[in-house]
Amino acid sequence: MSKPVSKFYLGVDIGSLTTKVVMVDEESRIIARATGRTGFSGREVASRLAASLLIELQLSEKDVAATVATGYGRVTFPADREMSEITCQARGIYQLFNKAETVIDIGGQDSKVIKVLPGGKVSDFTMNDKCAAGTGRFLEVMAGALEVDVKELGGLAEEASDSCSISSICTVFAESEVISHIAAGRTKPDIVAGVCNSVAARVAALTARTGLAPDVVFTGGVARNKGVVNALAAQLGTRLLIPDEPEITAALGAALFARDIAPKNKPCV
Amino acid sequence: MAEQRRYRPLASTRQLEKTMTRYYALTRYHRLWGRPLRRPLAWVTSGAPVELLLAFNIHPVYPENYGAICGTRKVSAKLCKVAEAAGYSQDLCSYARSHIGSIMRPDLAPMGGLPRPDLLVACNNICGTVLKWYEALARIFNVPLLVLDTPYLPGEVTGHAVGYVHEQLKEMAADLEKITGRRFDARGLEKRLLLSKETISLWREIREFCRAEPSPLNAPDLFIHMAPIVVLRGTKQSLKYYRQLRDEVKHRVDQGLGAVENEKIRLVWDNIAIWYRLFAFFKDFSQRGACFVTDTYSGGWAVELSPGDPLESLASTYTEIFLNRSLEFRARQMIDLIKDFNAHGFVMHSNRSCKPYSLVQEVIRRQVMRETGVPGLMVEADMADSRVFANEPVKNRVQAFIETLEA
Repeated sequence: MSKPVSKFYLGVDIGSLTTKVVMVDEESRIIARATGRTGFSGREVASRLAASLLIELQLSEKDVAATVATGYGRVTFPADREMSEITCQARGIYQLFNKAETVIDIGGQDSKVIKVLPGGKVSDFTMNDKCAAGTGRFLEVMAGALEVDVKELGGLAEEASDSCSISSICTVFAESEVISHIAAGRTKPDIVAGVCNSVAARVAALTARTGLAPDVVFTGGVARNKGVVNALAAQLGTRLLIPDEPEITAALGAALFARDIAPKNKPCV
Repeated sequence: MAEQRRYRPLASTRQLEKTMTRYYALTRYHRLWGRPLRRPLAWVTSGAPVELLLAFNIHPVYPENYGAICGTRKVSAKLCKVAEAAGYSQDLCSYARSHIGSIMRPDLAPMGGLPRPDLLVACNNICGTVLKWYEALARIFNVPLLVLDTPYLPGEVTGHAVGYVHEQLKEMAADLEKITGRRFDARGLEKRLLLSKETISLWREIREFCRAEPSPLNAPDLFIHMAPIVVLRGTKQSLKYYRQLRDEVKHRVDQGLGAVENEKIRLVWDNIAIWYRLFAFFKDFSQRGACFVTDTYSGGWAVELSPGDPLESLASTYTEIFLNRSLEFRARQMIDLIKDFNAHGFVMHSNRSCKPYSLVQEVIRRQVMRETGVPGLMVEADMADSRVFANEPVKNRVQAFIETLEA
């Protein structure tokens, strides 16, 4: 049975492609997390994921002292507060890497670079323009053109011998470039390496705007792709720290903010 | 949905509407009075030396102001598409595309489009686009085009730059004598300059009042109430209008009334307004107690006239316009505004239309942040073409920026 004296805090990150929920306890430790495809209703997916966490932890809704929502679907979710994922991301990363000064996040339709001050506050950030180049969506489209699963891209990139060049920054035009490389008989690993280099180049350019200060943490689902990780590290000329679960860090930040805003003396019954 | 009002309306807005309606009504019916009174109608760029034209009794009309009207009335995207279908690139200025679209499809255009010009006057102190835009207009209407070429100023204004523009102004005066059939009237020009000078000093005074905390005006107020100083510069009507506005703003300061309820955050704005979302955009700020206390854009009309004889004064005044100046000048301007107005941050509109205004912003942003220690946000949009505006990403950035300021 649940312990009635403990309090728990929920962070919900409804992203453009994936929804993430994280539960932390009074000591700010992650005690459960879940992720799912956002699809048509991020709110429903988030509610279902949150319910699954409660079942897993044998808790009831009353045990959750506060909820903070973030991500593109944040306003749809009935939370105590909604916050931008930039603020949440910085907070989550500070919890995991307290020496981090730069966060590079590549999500479904955003890539962003956040400069973090000691304490996890944001000092500056830049994001991609209204364009999917340099985002997770870009990789998904390219994986589709190559008929491989997006999860396989990282492994394939490592097998490349002579990486292709993808020069177009437009996702649609880059896809046709990929198709012409396929037609020219280039190998999948070489094309995938080119795709990863292209994403890394976009994000490296974004990083140049805010400046790069170590430690540099790379988050978002794309941080699981070794091809992009290696290409980005090489282009930036720096080591990248990657959380064990790089896609849930904004949800973690949201959960930590939930802990901050929860009424301290509210009895949990 | 009853929402709490967090924004204080200005009583002067009624007078503003009257002033602008009168100006556009006179413009619209120019064909009835222009010829009998021998007062030709000129389409002019916003940085044209309008006092010289007024001295020749020319009625100036501003396609850029009209572009802003198209934006505010949310018809720019439609008009831009018309121009694009005729071959004008989507990468051109949206004022130019809206205006050219309004000529081709007056049925889609506010006020049925602007009335035909008798002549065109373009000055490249604000951008290079106006040259090609006005050349296209000259071909469409087959009317004279007068161009004033102001050299870009990498540093302070130089004697030979002023001399070069001064010579052109003398030529322009000679051309205008031929076009209007009137003699150049130096005394008339001086009178116009005096009216401009007084109006400018009122606009400056109004803007200076915004150093008060809370600020009596927010950026949308500045953008709306700048209209007369743009289109009626050098006239008694604008002078009269700004006297009234000055009194109202002064009253607000005396009473400690802020434009935004519970002003907590003071910001500086850079670049032209996002006309089609003027209120919606700034509401995200004002709802959280953030007020834009000053800006670089409407401040462009608050620069005092240079000394010297009338034509010389015009030459240096119109060459020294901020868009015609170096990155260092622009950065210094932002830094000074932040310090003088005690601002906590700044927002730059990276305006896809306006290249000279926008291209250097990222470098300025970093320099200003470094020197002032306050954060700056970049928002990508367009002044009139709403197709360029992505609401969710913009809202997201704005929210993150305000959270940073609140932290």
